[in-house]
Amino acid sequence: MNYFYPVNLIVFGFLLTALLGLISSWVDRKVTAMVQYRVGPPLLQPLVDIVKLLGKETLVPAGASRGAFLLAPLVGLAGVVASSTVLWGNLLRPSTSFAGDWIVILYLLTVPSLGIILGGFASRNPLASLGASREMKLVLSYELPFVLAMLVPVIRSGGSIRLGDILSSQFANGANAGSLSGIIALVVAVLCIQAKLALVPFDAPEAETEIVSGPLIEYSGAALAVYRLAKNMLLFVLPFFLGIMFLGGFRLHGIEILWSVLKFVGVLALITVIRNTNPRVRIDQATRFFWGPVAILGAAAVVLALLGL
Amino acid sequence: MTREEVIADLQSRFGDDIVELVDKSHNRVYMEINPRAITWVGTYIFRDLHARFNIASATDMPHHMEILYHFTIEDIDLMVNVRVKLPKDAPKIHSLASAIWALDWIEREMHELLGIEFIGHPDPRRLLLPDSWPEGVYPLRQDYREWDKTAVRDRGV
Amino acid sequence: MSMTLKALLKSPWVFHLSTGSCNNCDIEVLDCLTPRFDVERFGILLAGSIRHSDVLLVTGSCNRMSVERLKKLYDQVPKPCLVVGIGTCAGSRGVFIDSYNCPVPLDHIIPVDVYIPGCPPKPEAIIAGVVKLIQKVGNG
Repeated sequence: MNYFYPVNLIVFGFLLTALLGLISSWVDRKVTAMVQYRVGPPLLQPLVDIVKLLGKETLVPAGASRGAFLLAPLVGLAGVVASSTVLWGNLLRPSTSFAGDWIVILYLLTVPSLGIILGGFASRNPLASLGASREMKLVLSYELPFVLAMLVPVIRSGGSIRLGDILSSQFANGANAGSLSGIIALVVAVLCIQAKLALVPFDAPEAETEIVSGPLIEYSGAALAVYRLAKNMLLFVLPFFLGIMFLGGFRLHGIEILWSVLKFVGVLALITVIRNTNPRVRIDQATRFFWGPVAILGAAAVVLALLGL
Repeated sequence: MTREEVIADLQSRFGDDIVELVDKSHNRVYMEINPRAITWVGTYIFRDLHARFNIASATDMPHHMEILYHFTIEDIDLMVNVRVKLPKDAPKIHSLASAIWALDWIEREMHELLGIEFIGHPDPRRLLLPDSWPEGVYPLRQDYREWDKTAVRDRGV
Repeated sequence: MSMTLKALLKSPWVFHLSTGSCNNCDIEVLDCLTPRFDVERFGILLAGSIRHSDVLLVTGSCNRMSVERLKKLYDQVPKPCLVVGIGTCAGSRGVFIDSYNCPVPLDHIIPVDVYIPGCPPKPEAIIAGVVKLIQKVGNG
């Protein structure tokens, strides 16, 4: 019996991604601390946060739809685990890559945002509804430039929507970020990832000072732990995906491991530095930004890729 | 108008209602008036002299209650403080809240903390005290005594 | 000591609650959470919503209107929860002990674990108080 699929799902898709996600969250907090000229939290801090949350009681507000309230975090987690499984499968055994898995990853990566929206609307709290509606507007605006940016590696690898082909064409021709269209698409993709992770400058859905942590306002205990775990895992999966698409993938033999780690930490540090040096933008400014300049840049990258640059 | 002109104008217009006018300093004038005249004096200073209404303050004095309305005529840097003295057993005065909107909450606060009654106030609800506070007990009066038996007032040492 | 209680002491998320204070203690609590004093090395984060919090930093002498609201808020915190009373007003009402609007001290309304005296206490005092609370709960 082929044991690869369940092992891939549980060990690589869930456990390893959770571990690496917690470490990525620590890297993010440590870099933030260094930018602010202070010492940050210890290495195990994100894990301790999740363990602590598992020990608190889970309060469901009266009148909230109980099923949706408690299932929404699991929906988010399932989306992240599934997309991570497909990505690790590509890396470990390229033969498991199938035609169309690029499309699968793109739609699985929208599921965590849907989990937050579902949870926010199930909370029976006006601030949560406000945060969830802002998250919906943000998703509607950044999905277009994200897909356009992700089209560039597809075009450059000869029109194949199989991640294995994209990786092998990068091994043959050099990383996608080396070309003009690739670098523009990388910039667009990094901006879209800031919005996907709901990080400053695009964290209007979870704006702390304004709407008191937005859609997650009524969550406590184990449900909040699952949300935080899903967010940390997404913080790992998105730079991972970006590395596979634009930076030539991650080879895990010998000295290449160091180069892979540096590529990953580089993207993560870029996300963190953008997070620390920018103010928060309003939701209408964010949607105008993504539908305007960013979408135009994405379209320009696609055109340049079609022209062969 | 200069400040001498303002003082002369007030004295000529409201002569019988002014009990006492004190020329305190070059930018302060205290004017004590009869309580029945507050409506026309207040609206005259606010509207026709284009003064800015700053605040109103009320105190429980030994033999009477008094309210001070503070106006500023900004072009000439003059503060006109209008004083009314009310009898302690029945402190009642006409409300200026419909002419000067800022007095709405000030008069509500004076009413619930000192017991001064404002006749014709558009919205005489409670402002600061909770709903469980008994009627007719005014905390900022000098003769206020503790009515709450469940209060803990000893320091425990 | 159970693992989740140990985890709680290593990652206490604080929620700042004012029950009618003069706001001086609130300013000092805000100072305490700035990068200069770096409370994140203890795992302390400012929780946005009260349902995310483990430690309540309560300031102010509780006046009559705040009593019912404070009780409702305390019910909304998922237990286990620790309460820190910051400032003299939260401890014993200080100079407002005879005030008509502050009938009872704070610990007659919700159970308080640590009192940090001062008017207002310095951020260093607040951090020392929270560390003493962690040691006290860690020892049983």
